[in-house]
Amino acid sequence: MELKANAFGRNARKALLDKTLQGALERTTGRFQAHRDAAVAAFPEFEATRERASGIKRDVLDHLDTYLARFIEEAEKRGAIVHVARDAAQAREIAARIARNEGITLAVKSKSMASEEISLNEALQGAGVTVVESDLGEYIIQLAGETPSHIIAPAAHKTREQISRLFERHLGEPRTDSIPGLVGMARKHLREKFLSAGMGVSGGNFLVADTGSVVLVTNEGNGRMGTVLPRVHLAVVGIEKVIPRMADLPTFLRLLPRSATGQAISSYVSIVTGTRRAGDPEGPDRMHILLLDCGRSAILEGKYREVLKCVRCGACLNCCPVYQSVGGHPYGWVYSGPIGAVLTPLLVGLPEAAALPDASTLCGACADVCPVKIPLPDFLLELRADAREQGLKTPGEIAAMKGYAGVMKRAGLLEAIERIGGVLGQFFTKGKGIGGLPYPFSGWTERRDFPAPAALPFRKRWKIQRGARD
Amino acid sequence: MPYTTGMGPFGSIPVSLFFTCLADAFSPGVCSATVEVLERFGATVRVPLSQTCCGQPAFNSGNRKEARAMARKFLLTFPDDGPIVTPSGSCAAMVKHGYPVLFRDEPRMLARARAVGDRIYELSQYLVDVLGVTDPKSDFSGKVTYHDSCHLRRGLGVVSAPRKLLRAVPGVEFVEMEESDRCCGFGGVFSVKYPQISCKMTERKVERILETGAAYVTSGDLGCLLNIGGLISRIGYPVKVIHLAEILAGKAAGRGDAV
Repeated sequence: MELKANAFGRNARKALLDKTLQGALERTTGRFQAHRDAAVAAFPEFEATRERASGIKRDVLDHLDTYLARFIEEAEKRGAIVHVARDAAQAREIAARIARNEGITLAVKSKSMASEEISLNEALQGAGVTVVESDLGEYIIQLAGETPSHIIAPAAHKTREQISRLFERHLGEPRTDSIPGLVGMARKHLREKFLSAGMGVSGGNFLVADTGSVVLVTNEGNGRMGTVLPRVHLAVVGIEKVIPRMADLPTFLRLLPRSATGQAISSYVSIVTGTRRAGDPEGPDRMHILLLDCGRSAILEGKYREVLKCVRCGACLNCCPVYQSVGGHPYGWVYSGPIGAVLTPLLVGLPEAAALPDASTLCGACADVCPVKIPLPDFLLELRADAREQGLKTPGEIAAMKGYAGVMKRAGLLEAIERIGGVLGQFFTKGKGIGGLPYPFSGWTERRDFPAPAALPFRKRWKIQRGARD
Repeated sequence: MPYTTGMGPFGSIPVSLFFTCLADAFSPGVCSATVEVLERFGATVRVPLSQTCCGQPAFNSGNRKEARAMARKFLLTFPDDGPIVTPSGSCAAMVKHGYPVLFRDEPRMLARARAVGDRIYELSQYLVDVLGVTDPKSDFSGKVTYHDSCHLRRGLGVVSAPRKLLRAVPGVEFVEMEESDRCCGFGGVFSVKYPQISCKMTERKVERILETGAAYVTSGDLGCLLNIGGLISRIGYPVKVIHLAEILAGKAAGRGDAV
């Protein structure tokens, strides 16, 4: 996917002015958040489960090589062919080779954020494969030629009217504002694809080390159909998705749907273990599992290791007031919201995405909801410090910070400045707010006043009233 | 521990006031109100006069070198014993949670940061959790709604203390707003870097405040109040912003140089 993370500010301003988008965002994030909160409230073991899940993930990260080796061994034992890609280019190469070797011309794909990281569709198209997205949201944005704006609801930014117009133009369907009507249209067109596709492409929510299984958590059934009907199944999954045992899966299944959509369990949980065995009524003849490193090993070695615990539930997006205000697209890459603001710079390099860690008030709502307890605000702070270390801050900001720190070294100097500010402030504003500050603070006062400094700061007042003693 | 009346059980223990640079410069009335409330419950208030800023703007923007210099000064300015009380959840959270990050590679400063962090309290937290105040003895009157500052609520975990105090003021009609814990959009440097997003969040906050029909919106953080108040003053909405300390201090303080 094309990277535009550093254009966050400009694209966020555009998003703020898009009335249709604003309406869609308020509806979707509000609904997800309300459902999630209700589901968590009705699940008293949430905190304990969260703690356990976080512990399991931490153990996985501490022994990732061991668990991955076990997963590969078990998956191969059951007939799967496992590939490991170091980076996106290698992943694309492997995927294209698989498609060519298997003689694929049509593939149905279920939702996968990892596949967006490597621009899988383009790679497959380059190998002569027509790729049809089969998740309803992904299908919609594929028709629109757009990218996902939400981890679990890729078309969260679209209204039903916009969708109906798309279906009219691309599928020749009549206009409707009925959601079941729209779903029916997509189903009809997709059904043919499922039946004729040679390959089903999926992501994977979990990789189970002790059984070699790929676990898919979905709501539409497209994931199951796409992994069962076509003769070849290609699963594209990040290496950090491994969990040690099948016995650990329920812990995560209790958390993921609740955090994502507020469901106690998703409509489908598919556990795909190896190829079709003799006597199996269905299942793929060939199963390829493409494991993506793509920067993950490097993250594992550093101070941001815990970000790899992420289960991609999207809860941090829904509760984030910044995401709620601008949606996913301004984040300019695959992942958006607080997790995107942390993960994108780590995966693509901080210089390419330094605008993202600044896109947060550090309100902490994300850390409150994260089902695996990733300290997202701490990581945002850490990335901002890295930006300074790596010379990514503007000279203006650094000079301002040095000046401010210089003043704060001496209370006397601060008091003198406060008193001058107080006199000027009172003189020019008559004690009312300041309506216009100069650049770089001019944005602040565009729609808000800034307070005028008080005539007599507290320190001075205290000295006068109580004498200059501590 | 419940207080009695007049001199509290902590009357002999001096409390250090961390008045915050923001209140010092923009709302000194908030600092005076804090002193008044603390003295009402028997504290002997000390004000280290060489204090300046806790360094949060530098820390939050990733400028740790400058933040560390300010943190070092803070840690050397405040005395070695007794509680440090501040009318700001955000500044208290900075000392408590930010300083240990700044000094993670300096064991001696880290130990001091932790020790000071253990002694720092936001005002309502100190009154309710430490002094056991149930009646703030304020004569303030009016319909009041409360905004949870992010750092007070999520940073320090202080949710009920300010509400308990507000509900205990006989003249206060307390009304909860929807989304009281949703960020007001200030976020310090964030509001300078992304002012349009910040404003969008502030507008939603002000909508929620107006829905309550309250005459006053209060909070435990001046940053939020200056931000919210800036929008209210620009549009001229019929609601006043007032710091929690001023409500607790009472009528006279509330009419003073409020934010």
